[in-house]
Amino acid sequence: MHSEPMHSEPMKGRPSVAQEDSPSVTADQGTAPTVEIRTAARPALIPTVRAVASDLAARADFDLDAISDLRMAVDEACATLVGLAAPGSSLRCTFDVHGERIDVSAQVVTGGATELPTDSFGWRVLQTLADQVAIETGEEDGGRRALTIRLHKLAGPGL
Amino acid sequence: MIPLPGSISAQPSRDDGEPAGSPGCVPGGLELSFSAPRSGLTVLSVAGEIDTLTAPHLGAALDDLLDRGDRQIAIDLEGVTFLASSGLGALIHTARQAARDDRRLFVVATSRAVLRPLEVTGSAQLFTVVPDRSGIPGP
Repeated sequence: MHSEPMHSEPMKGRPSVAQEDSPSVTADQGTAPTVEIRTAARPALIPTVRAVASDLAARADFDLDAISDLRMAVDEACATLVGLAAPGSSLRCTFDVHGERIDVSAQVVTGGATELPTDSFGWRVLQTLADQVAIETGEEDGGRRALTIRLHKLAGPGL
Repeated sequence: MIPLPGSISAQPSRDDGEPAGSPGCVPGGLELSFSAPRSGLTVLSVAGEIDTLTAPHLGAALDDLLDRGDRQIAIDLEGVTFLASSGLGALIHTARQAARDDRRLFVVATSRAVLRPLEVTGSAQLFTVVPDRSGIPGP
């Protein structure tokens, strides 16, 4: 966990892998994510997170529809989680760019045993937009309950 | 195609824990304005990003639009740069309400930011989407 309210770390400490302009940065297996962002779990900060998703997809040469879909999917996942986050907690998002695919993980700490509603319009939209989406529950460091949405999006036209 | 929300209003807003802005000072910078280009037609113009933060303001403006009672109503989304499911929910609710009252609802949109969400959710079928205001037929 990082203490900064916002944290972005593309290829830091691995200059041998970094490319000029980093248009097609690839995440190595088992190492730090391509980009990690931590914000306060508040709706007002979600535009920043979805802008990063959109920017990464554009740099990875995603199809314009796929960029739009990823931006919407990330917004949806973050909005859902922020609505369930414990007061004063953080939203942590990681993005791994694998050439033709971007893996996204969004996580919040919840106040208690919170169920993520999967019968909402928003959730169905998220399932439609992402090529794959999954929910994980578990414990964060410190024993607090964490709720995670993982999704991935492919570069080409998927719909 | 996914099931669209029924007659229930848009998703409840998620409280940001901050005081709501006064009218005309909407968080997220959503701009909303009404115009009446001719009698019997009212247009709601929207500019900015429609997400969980701003969707409740859009919902309130759409309710005002319906309350005006014109036979033809239009929502001009040319200035919209992002449209999330919360905003789609508000638009779909308005479309269903207009259909119930046998009124014609037009959506003015050409950008991917608006058309793509309408397409992927299958909600474009609920509106008459036109590329500009001149596409709105006379009474």
